[in-house]
Amino acid sequence: MYAEIGELTGSERRDRLVELAAEEGNALSIYTSLNADIADIVVPEFEEEFGIDVDLYRADSETILQRILQESSAQFAGADVVETNATELAVIANEGLTGDYQGEQRDKVNEDFQYEGWTPTRFNIFAPAWNTNAVAGDLVPTTWEDLADPKYDGILSLEVGDYDWYMTLYGYFQDQGMSDADIDAMFAAMVDGAKIAKGHSGQVELLSAGEFGVVAASYTYLTEKARATGAPVDDQPFVEPVVARANGGGVMRASEHPATAMLFMDWYLEDGQQVLLDNGLTPSVMPDGSDPLAGLEVQPVDVQQLLDEGAEWSDRYAEVVRGGEQLPEN
Amino acid sequence: MRPRTLVAIAVTVVVGYLALVPMGYLLWTTFTDAEGFSLGGFSRAYGSDRIGSLVGNSLWFAFGSALLSLAVGTALAYFNVRTDVPFKALFFAASIIPLIIPGILYTIAWIFLASPSIGLLNSLLEPIFGEGTINVFTIWGMIWVEGLHLSPIAFLFMVAAFRSTDPSLEESSLMSGATRVQTFRRVTLPLVRPALLSAALIMLVRSLESFEVPALLGLQNGIYVFTSRIYEVLRTFPTDFAAAGALAVGLLAIAALGIWLSNRFSRGHGGGTITGKGFRPRPIDLGRWKPVVGLGILLYFFVTVLAPLLVLLYTALLPYYRPPSIEAFQSMSFDNFVAVFNLPTVPTALRNSLLLGAGSATIVMALMAIAAWVVVRSGIPGRRVLDHIAFSPLVIPGLVLGVAIAFVYLRSPLPIYGTLFILLIAYCTRYLPYGMRYAVSGMQTIGAELEESALVSGAGWWATFRRVLLPLIAPALLAGWVYIFVVSFRELSSSILLYTPGNEVLSISIWELYANARFGELSALGVLMVLILAVLVGVAYKIGASVGLKSD
Repeated sequence: MYAEIGELTGSERRDRLVELAAEEGNALSIYTSLNADIADIVVPEFEEEFGIDVDLYRADSETILQRILQESSAQFAGADVVETNATELAVIANEGLTGDYQGEQRDKVNEDFQYEGWTPTRFNIFAPAWNTNAVAGDLVPTTWEDLADPKYDGILSLEVGDYDWYMTLYGYFQDQGMSDADIDAMFAAMVDGAKIAKGHSGQVELLSAGEFGVVAASYTYLTEKARATGAPVDDQPFVEPVVARANGGGVMRASEHPATAMLFMDWYLEDGQQVLLDNGLTPSVMPDGSDPLAGLEVQPVDVQQLLDEGAEWSDRYAEVVRGGEQLPEN
Repeated sequence: MRPRTLVAIAVTVVVGYLALVPMGYLLWTTFTDAEGFSLGGFSRAYGSDRIGSLVGNSLWFAFGSALLSLAVGTALAYFNVRTDVPFKALFFAASIIPLIIPGILYTIAWIFLASPSIGLLNSLLEPIFGEGTINVFTIWGMIWVEGLHLSPIAFLFMVAAFRSTDPSLEESSLMSGATRVQTFRRVTLPLVRPALLSAALIMLVRSLESFEVPALLGLQNGIYVFTSRIYEVLRTFPTDFAAAGALAVGLLAIAALGIWLSNRFSRGHGGGTITGKGFRPRPIDLGRWKPVVGLGILLYFFVTVLAPLLVLLYTALLPYYRPPSIEAFQSMSFDNFVAVFNLPTVPTALRNSLLLGAGSATIVMALMAIAAWVVVRSGIPGRRVLDHIAFSPLVIPGLVLGVAIAFVYLRSPLPIYGTLFILLIAYCTRYLPYGMRYAVSGMQTIGAELEESALVSGAGWWATFRRVLLPLIAPALLAGWVYIFVVSFRELSSSILLYTPGNEVLSISIWELYANARFGELSALGVLMVLILAVLVGVAYKIGASVGLKSD
């Protein structure tokens, strides 16, 4: 199937997939960690265009991974397409559970983000965000190093689980020729006086409310969403390099609807990207085929490094954020 | 075999099956790795040199919260059942509403109330006491929020206990010259000791496991607890179930010790205060203390219910949270409520949650009524093991419970995976421990003589159970039912793994909104849940009052 379709391009490919999808019963099961408000727009558009019934299972990425691993170990083909975070997808792909999906749209994805067994569909971008009432003028950060400045003591917030951001930025500064001791000192200074929070969405809410002045590594789409409701938050111009982590999709090897799954991936990487863009997300391929990260200095999260050294970086980051520890004020 | 033995065996088998499936999976993943038996999970879980301070913080936080909620819950229950305190109608709301508000919302509401920088209470106090008088981001703040959030559990336990103890003992004590305080300490408290111990045990384990409060309040000032470690461990790749299991086994040991102590101290004390002699609880006249206690009740109601609920309502009416100002009030609208009603999954989710809540509460309490009899009364050798088994799901992390259940039913020929049934099984398992504590504490207050006289008068075991025991422990069973019904609406970690499209539950909608940073809609949904559940629980109480022990 993959070989046959891989040869085809353009409308010939789409027509053939539509034909095969009909043979498969025009049904599809997608497991995704895409937020519901966006998934509820993307999926109905696909259903409407092709007359395909989609079962949509939504959960956080860790739960999706567990569910896929459990189901596959019991030879239960629950998902046809899995769409989630890079790390979880890499685990699933490494287990050999995804099929060899190829296509023209896939090839257009930025070469820093080409992976075997899965294809990026959207990016999560980390960039500092600030409350415009509390932070203006000189206080607006322009570089990552700025955040180590004591002027942010008491108003900067870091997230307790952002070790992928930490690992990536650490590597970036190493590449810049900074010594490990200097990098450690910089992160320690950032954490010193910082408020540690759990969860990016809660962080943005507390940023809007004025509890925090600056969030070190906010997801840009969450900042954008808050700003769209009128909250006094901003992240422009981006502090560069922005740290980008891919989210992607894979077609499951055990799928009973492989053609429908490929049809969805084709559509998602083309027409679906416009829907993501309209809803404040960063697509992996712009609707005109260009690279959405062009013009930005980007530091990609190294997925393989995350898999190999994730536990170690997670421990290191946990130690770093504990540096902000203060005795409880009793 | 006699019917009572058959029933006892059947219930033991069902409870054992429900509890031991996840337990077995947990132990298996904890003690094995690719090569076979291994203790690697333990060294990874407890290997951090910070584990000492983690456990220290955890115990401080857990004991503090348990103590606070126990004190508050017991006092409220006592005043409600035994005295002529005013504002009794408020008790109902105070006992249920903190349970209904999801932990995440309750904690965030408290940040908006008592954060040093943006807290509303602080801005009220600022003219008198200066800036940032109250700081919710301390261990005391954590104990305060967790303790208040848990106090309804203690309240539900203690109301049931006070209803089924004989006030004539207190009257005799007063008549013999003891003061009210002496009577309360020397007579009343020992009488309700089984319920007190049960509640303490549950709250201790609950606060050791509590996630929202330490995550949202503790981290900000670097106060780390046990669950922070579980969170770290579950976050690694691939998920380290062995280490998470090792931490759960640690909690299990603490819980087992707790049950053992609780049963030991319950024996010989408090047991059997309901005897063959008729009694009619009569409210104690508070006299000149009435206005003082009344004021205290109003204050409690304001602090635990009204203030957080008003913050939620306020947030629900705003496009995004901001401290009160003219612009804030001008931006108010019902958009968030409209948005909640327009969420495509909410109607299905509400229906499923109601079905699952009522179903699991009913199944668990029915099973536990009999299981409690087996444990407390039956005299069957080894019966206490059942108590420990039924308690074990309390310490199993929700994700592990979900994975264990998926593991079994993916391989089962019964078509349960992917249906609402699998969620029902998960909920029944998860709430067994609560049901057991409620039922056991009820059973322990009933004297053996009632059962004996019924048997002597020729009633069979089933008739005795149904006509004598069941009505007497009805207050405890109802309290357990209400608790399970309400908290099942919040169950997320195993629901999210096990649900299938079309079988969504309300907690998943809550999580969606949280993950999406849609706090206005989340608050709106919280307010709606409070309204819906308060009405339903009110109905349950009305029905319960007509079948159970009539106390007033």
